Amino acid sequence: MRPGFVLEVDERTPPLLVHRGDSFGLERFPLGSRVVYPPEALPGLPDVRAAITQALEHPLDSEPLRVLLRPGMRLTIAFDDISLPLPPMRTPDIRQQVIEQVLELAAAAGVDDVELVVANALHRRMTGPEIRRIVGDRVYRSFWPQALTNHDAEDRANLVHLGLTDEGEDVEINKRAGTSDLLVYVNVNLVSMDGGWKSTAIGLASYASLRHHHNTKTMRHSRSFMDHKASALHSSAWRMGRLLQEHVPVFQIETTLNNQAFPTSYAFLTKREWEWSPRDQAMFWTLKNGLDRAPGRLRRKALSDLVADYEVTSVQAGAVEPVHELTIANVHRQQLVEVGGQTDVLVFGLPYLCPYNVNSSVMNPVLAMCLGLGYFFNMYRGQPLVRKGGALILYHPVQNAFDQLHHPSYVDFFEEVLAESTDPAIIEERFEKQYATDPWYTHLYRTSHAYHGVHPFYMWYWGAHALEHLGDVVWVGGDRKAVQRMGFRSASTLGDALSMVSGSVGTSPTITYQHNPPHSIADVR
Amino acid sequence: MRALEVYRSLPRYLAARVVSGRLPAVAAAGVAPLRLTTRSAPPLPGPQWVRVRPRLSGICGSDLATVAGTAPFYLSPLVSLPFIPGHEVVGELLDDAPGLPAGSRVVLNPVLSCRARNLEGCPACSSGAANRCARVTLGHLSPGLQTGFCADTGGGWSGQLVAHCSQLHAVPDDVPDERAVLAEPLACAVHAARRTFAEPGCSVLVVGAGMVGLLVLHALRALTPAGRITVVAKHPRQARLARDLGADEVVLPKAALTAVRRSTAAIRLSPERGSDLLLGGVDIAVECAGSASGLEQALRATRAGGRVVLAGMPAPADLSPVWFRELELVGSYASAGDDLAVALRLLADPHLDALRTSWHPLSRYREALDEAGDAGRLGLAKVGFDLRKESA
Amino acid sequence: MSSLARLARDFRWGHVPSVPATAPRREVVPAREMSTAWARTPLARGVRAVAQAGALAPLVRAEVRLQVTGAARLTALGDEAAVLVLNHTSHLDTAALLTALPPPMRSRTVVAAAADYFFTSWWKAAGTALVFGTVPIERRGGAPTDAPARLLAQGWNVVVYPEGSRSYDGWPTRFRPGAAALALTCGAPIVPVAVRGSYTAMPRGRSWPAPGRPRVSLVFGDPLRAAPGEQALAFAGRAQAEVARLLDEDETDWWSSLRRANSGEQPALQGPPTGSWRRTWASTRPVEPTSTGGPRVWT
Repeated sequence: MRPGFVLEVDERTPPLLVHRGDSFGLERFPLGSRVVYPPEALPGLPDVRAAITQALEHPLDSEPLRVLLRPGMRLTIAFDDISLPLPPMRTPDIRQQVIEQVLELAAAAGVDDVELVVANALHRRMTGPEIRRIVGDRVYRSFWPQALTNHDAEDRANLVHLGLTDEGEDVEINKRAGTSDLLVYVNVNLVSMDGGWKSTAIGLASYASLRHHHNTKTMRHSRSFMDHKASALHSSAWRMGRLLQEHVPVFQIETTLNNQAFPTSYAFLTKREWEWSPRDQAMFWTLKNGLDRAPGRLRRKALSDLVADYEVTSVQAGAVEPVHELTIANVHRQQLVEVGGQTDVLVFGLPYLCPYNVNSSVMNPVLAMCLGLGYFFNMYRGQPLVRKGGALILYHPVQNAFDQLHHPSYVDFFEEVLAESTDPAIIEERFEKQYATDPWYTHLYRTSHAYHGVHPFYMWYWGAHALEHLGDVVWVGGDRKAVQRMGFRSASTLGDALSMVSGSVGTSPTITYQHNPPHSIADVR
Repeated sequence: MRALEVYRSLPRYLAARVVSGRLPAVAAAGVAPLRLTTRSAPPLPGPQWVRVRPRLSGICGSDLATVAGTAPFYLSPLVSLPFIPGHEVVGELLDDAPGLPAGSRVVLNPVLSCRARNLEGCPACSSGAANRCARVTLGHLSPGLQTGFCADTGGGWSGQLVAHCSQLHAVPDDVPDERAVLAEPLACAVHAARRTFAEPGCSVLVVGAGMVGLLVLHALRALTPAGRITVVAKHPRQARLARDLGADEVVLPKAALTAVRRSTAAIRLSPERGSDLLLGGVDIAVECAGSASGLEQALRATRAGGRVVLAGMPAPADLSPVWFRELELVGSYASAGDDLAVALRLLADPHLDALRTSWHPLSRYREALDEAGDAGRLGLAKVGFDLRKESA
Repeated sequence: MSSLARLARDFRWGHVPSVPATAPRREVVPAREMSTAWARTPLARGVRAVAQAGALAPLVRAEVRLQVTGAARLTALGDEAAVLVLNHTSHLDTAALLTALPPPMRSRTVVAAAADYFFTSWWKAAGTALVFGTVPIERRGGAPTDAPARLLAQGWNVVVYPEGSRSYDGWPTRFRPGAAALALTCGAPIVPVAVRGSYTAMPRGRSWPAPGRPRVSLVFGDPLRAAPGEQALAFAGRAQAEVARLLDEDETDWWSSLRRANSGEQPALQGPPTGSWRRTWASTRPVEPTSTGGPRVWT
């Protein structure tokens, strides 16, 4: 395993792979551009099963799970939803492996009252087959649908208000989870934003509780939200979690994955370009040309069928906070790359997938914005990789297309709200309440498979820090109208984009391309 | 004089019905039972009738339907063939009329009601609603609901027509012909706007942003206390005009239901087949597109107990929502009372300057009809005939 | 420009893959054993004999003035296969050696070539194997290959450059014991060969000999056999000393070189101290023409 590093583009550098939504391309970056490469995939644990057993038997700051289980208790197992990991991992999912061992211990201890909850917060409900894929057939058949449910943040009867934090934030979570004798949380920590108290205090919360940290002010002070120690979002979740802990004991099981984000046959997606074999080049060429020529539906099908060959790199269990520290260390081991200094222009290629369009027909413009200015922009530690007032260049087609089943409120958000303003604070003040309480969105969230009415707002807040920090955002290959609606500009090539941003960064800016995915966190020194 | 004449020809009528919509209108007009003829000017049918020389005459949606053979058979006993179409007319008097000397510019209220037919007033006419007249087939004139559908009066698409004094309205000198010819359609729009009975703050959906839709919007804003008005516009220029004329929101047809749902927080449902529907929606919808899909959209986007106004000649649509949502389905035909007078007043609004019009000589009638059929896409609000150089 | 053509240009098809300067290299180059057995089939040998005699040798003689000394010493070998070791300063060395070898011996000679240089792409491997009869060997550890030993046992002469690489300044570096070990394994003799002037003619970085037909001289030494119990390291040292003496012999004469070797006056194989400009200066000195008359024993 070679560590991540920063490449300086020279004459010998081949063109570099850039994701651009449903396709990808090779881009020649100007000489002297820096490229951040994540470390190569860490070796996976040789025996995941044994690692889980070990973690459950020797938890951090907690008694072994075996000891915590007793007959007659109410046990609730909550787990991360379909937004993790991306792309979905090859079965058996790590959550399945963990949950099966937890249930085996529970069965041995004679626990009868067990329920499983998907911690989907305001995300869409997962379908049966999707849940089955995550928890595995045994669990699914034993519990679905009575005792294996999606969390419903709008079901007043199944929420419990646990009180207010010191800062006056409501803590309202899933009633079953909040009134159990033991809450076991099973997580997949793909990026450093996940896990910790965010799992329970956010994943199982209601809108009343979420609005305290999912807002413009908090997101502007989360720098970045990928670093829980510097994130106002996480501080709030941590406060809520500590209050939650007073009401229900939480046994947290966190797992980390390596960087093997694509199947082996698509190895070129994770390899460094100058090491591409002829086979990789052939694969790239075939896939790119195939995708570019295929009709949209077929293209998305081909991509959404990709399953990652992730390997588990660590499993830790016990009290939330020490467990999370260890988890973060493991995530950093895989993703942290030291970068010397900020840059004028930061470049990302946005892939076809973000946490909110798994199995959706299309990644809509709002999600593309969230992926670029939210997730990718925040993949830093310390200070942003791009300097204040610098420019961000993103590759994505930004089609003005929405999945009607999953994203009904996004359509309206894009048409109505963004037409009025793109300032997160103004949007929040003028429109959030209307969308959050719209009965149709609520109905679709609860009974269909739609994201909550307020979810597009959260996506926009996710980018609030970037919007405030950046001087310019240009989308290469983006649909002009859709990009304009979001308050950005589009260019057809990197060269055009660079000349467009020359107003804010000059004609010879320093350029850094963060080669995502597989993910890296830029540790900016 | 030259005139465009619609005559009786079943084969042509059927052929036009088949080819309209399949062929370019230029070709379709060649199939239609329409011809350019030279004939003598229509004689005066009686006292109180005067000769009028049209200056401009618009092509209306109902004219296009007649030519294309898609007008409903319902109307067939209400017209008399052969007739010269053209009921949106601004013209100049060739004879003196009471209060209007020869040479005055006038616009026409085309409805041929009891007064024009020299009959005693039917109940409708007596109550001032001449557009609802029950006797449009009686009297000394051939049947014909309006000038332009009657064999005896002539019509606007010719060098000369005859009109009853009661039909005439003087045009102020400062209103150019191109603007004055909009008086008749605007009067219809005023009538439709009044038929909405809009209450203060109520939400209105205007489906269609052609001439009818835009003028209805204009009248709604000018005459009613309606609140939020959403306009469904197909073409960019229409959208811009609608915004200028006071629409709060302008949306594409496919986004209309979404927009209504959003602004009214309604529940949207998807039937097994057919378009989506709302439970909840706007208080009032005005159908100005004259298409089945437009009416369907209006019906499906209106809240229970709401009102749907038909401002154009309607196409058949699924009426289930009328029954299930207890909608009031309100027709609006032509104009009545002071509608035309109000329309002449509203014509002065400078916002209407942006309405683009296009005028053709009679000899180029095929191009004119073609353009009229595609006016929205071409960014034109009104297409018609320029008869100022036509000999009487 | 088609996407395929662009890919070919961008990834430099037909070239050695280039690595950006700031990118970390792969730690291990995976040993890719490329089979060269086909190049020793009768057909390929026939083609090679024609190519070497008809094209390579005339070309070498046309471009440089090749002077061969001591070819008669090879007759002592008879039909016995040997390991030929020589100092290495230029790609010209192999061509010169093959040109200088008597044809019967040349036809059963293979050249051990660095796998990481000559066997990185199939066409490079195929070309050199066909014309020069190369076989791949690993020079930097990696998977040791037994191919040369097998070939030696089968009666093939194996040419080995015991320095492992071409010299940077024209002076030989220390001989590694691999060639000696190979000879010991098979009980084969080592034939020391010294080549002089090829550095001047075509040093590293040049792909064609310098104009003006520079002189290149090649001296064959007497076959060396391992003494009983002699280890590879010592045997390699002996071969190295012999090559040094042959270089001296070429510069002076056989007798002087012998005397100087015995009196310790012989110039060190590695030349002047490292870093000195004199190293390159001395090694680029043109080869003096020697009288082509009789032996220069007593001059």
